[in-house]
Amino acid sequence: VIITDLLGSRVSGPDFLGFVSDVRFIFEPGSARQPPRLYGIIVSPHARSSSLGFERSGVRSPWPIAAFVRWRHRGSFLVQWGDIERLDIDRIQLRPGFQRGSPELH
Amino acid sequence: VTRDTENEVARWLDAQLHLLDRQVLDVNGVPMAVVDDLELSGVPAGEEIPIDTPPPVITALLSGPVLATRIFGGRPPDSRMERTPWAAVEEVGVVVKLAVRQETSDLTWTERWVRDHIIGRIPGGRHIPEGEQHDNPQNDERGGS
Repeated sequence: VIITDLLGSRVSGPDFLGFVSDVRFIFEPGSARQPPRLYGIIVSPHARSSSLGFERSGVRSPWPIAAFVRWRHRGSFLVQWGDIERLDIDRIQLRPGFQRGSPELH
Repeated sequence: VTRDTENEVARWLDAQLHLLDRQVLDVNGVPMAVVDDLELSGVPAGEEIPIDTPPPVITALLSGPVLATRIFGGRPPDSRMERTPWAAVEEVGVVVKLAVRQETSDLTWTERWVRDHIIGRIPGGRHIPEGEQHDNPQNDERGGS
């Protein structure tokens, strides 16, 4: 699987939830020679596009663009890898009882 | 992120924000390509993922002709995508720095082909410009017509 197969995919739980707007990876402490592992997907209910970096916490300027992007991605949430039940081309199914996390980058 | 940093704290990398479309530089800082895609390991597409399945990891950076497919959809054939193993990545920052020289990478085979078969056959094309002879010791390997 390549990453562009996942970006923009439709995400469903019991119902349609949104689209994959980004895929988050993590470098583990002490794993200097290990590749980043997939941590989760960011689901945006209204937009397939990127958040352009405004998912970083505290980024509020330039304010017209920040306000617009945050409005476009209102209601976004992070779903961890363990809550993904099935990955298909253009479609991702989440497990029942999946958890919604904050999509903000700290 | 520099891989050799000891005791580094966990760092998040968002694919679109931190990796895709970033310039790739070789160990000497020479631009090589752009990150057009990422290859993930072991994701069973279309099958149910058992609980406790280890998360996939990034196995390679992919570069290739993606302009048309980004506009019109689809994806280029796998054979058109050049692969850089993640093991060659030294640092991820504003650019992605590799720990290899571009001469040893498949990413720049077109540049080498053009250099050897076209530029090199133009009179003076194999001559190193004066004043640059000592800038880069690698020039000595290629020069001299």
